[in-house]
Amino acid sequence: MVLKLYGYPTSTCTLRVAVTLKEKNVPFEFIPVDLVGGQHKTPAFTANQPFGQVPYIVEDDGFQMYESRAIARYIAAKYAGVGEQLIPKDLRESAIFEQGASIELTDYEPFVSGLAWENKFTQMYGGTKDEKRAESLLATWRSKLDAYDKILGQQKYIGGNKITLADLFHLPYGSVLLGIGIDEFSSRPNVARWWNDITSRPSWQAIKDGL
Amino acid sequence: MVLKLHGVSFSTCTRTVAVVAKELNVPYELVNVDFAKGEHKSPAFTAVQPFGQVPYIDDDGFKLFESRAIARYLAKKYAGQGTKLIPTDPKEEAIFEQGVSIESSNFYPSAIGFGIEKVFKPMRGLTPDEARAEEHLKTLASKLDAYDVLLGKQKYVGGNEITLADLFHLSYGQLLVQAGQADLFESRPNVARWWKEISTRPSWLAVKDAA
Repeated sequence: MVLKLYGYPTSTCTLRVAVTLKEKNVPFEFIPVDLVGGQHKTPAFTANQPFGQVPYIVEDDGFQMYESRAIARYIAAKYAGVGEQLIPKDLRESAIFEQGASIELTDYEPFVSGLAWENKFTQMYGGTKDEKRAESLLATWRSKLDAYDKILGQQKYIGGNKITLADLFHLPYGSVLLGIGIDEFSSRPNVARWWNDITSRPSWQAIKDGL
Repeated sequence: MVLKLHGVSFSTCTRTVAVVAKELNVPYELVNVDFAKGEHKSPAFTAVQPFGQVPYIDDDGFKLFESRAIARYLAKKYAGQGTKLIPTDPKEEAIFEQGVSIESSNFYPSAIGFGIEKVFKPMRGLTPDEARAEEHLKTLASKLDAYDVLLGKQKYVGGNEITLADLFHLSYGQLLVQAGQADLFESRPNVARWWKEISTRPSWLAVKDAA
């Protein structure tokens, strides 16, 4: 029996887990959740994920958990001996990794998810784009990426000089925005180099268009 | 050399690092960053913290920013003293990571969003966006309903022992209380129990008004 990944085929958070599973060559069964039909808000679902969100995993022995970044960390730790060391062990290297992981969370995620919402998803759910908010998010994100360009001029990846989960966590939303023509990477040389590097990884290429 | 915490004594993120240092019995020296003079945007500062934010630490020459990363670094470095803030058992660690991610994805964004409108803007003589504040409050209410379910099954957000996952809620939780929203916690029995416990810990009482 393999690990079960409950999620949505193109969901950013589901893909965050999937790319980590691919990096570690962990076989898994993808079980789609009917978001459009509101399955994630049913009592049967919220018994497993009280916030009504995807994804969550269920392992062979019944162990289950949710929160994509937490799942990725669990997989990276469990299969630490396989493939790349996605979370460094050395104290200082792990600190720089954590700095990068936190940068993704506070200096990237709020902006890219907000931009994806305003420019793509809100229309899908019958809403209208808030132009002012979209403009403000883009302006702030640009200044954040200027800082990214500085950092990536001093170290190869966002979490240090080796690839880590911190880099992989950026992939889903960055791709969504590129898919709707919002490219803030190409114009920043170090960011562009880094983005090309991480998007060309076989693990991402295998699942980037959905599960 | 004593740990240097470069920040602002009443800053949310600076106090997050301070409470963790207190839990671990790690002495630190607060080095004030002069926001009024724009010190956080100066070249000397942004050379260390390219996003121009506080806090950062200087641990005998080793510099690190992002409060949650600093907290993890200290918890790892001083794992043998004070309170154990990150579990070592793999499954307990996974539930801890789930809890940390819950805080940063399901609590922090709307807590800080509300705090910006109803605490920080008034402090700076700016007008709050009441509609946005209402939105954040609604989100918080539904998120905390899920917290109440979670905290009915486990004692703390990261498992059955206190961890960094709980401590990360303190600064932003206090912001909500400051803004007159204590009822968010108090009206939900399990959340109320948990909030009372963590917000009355000596480590937090020592720094809640000043790092």
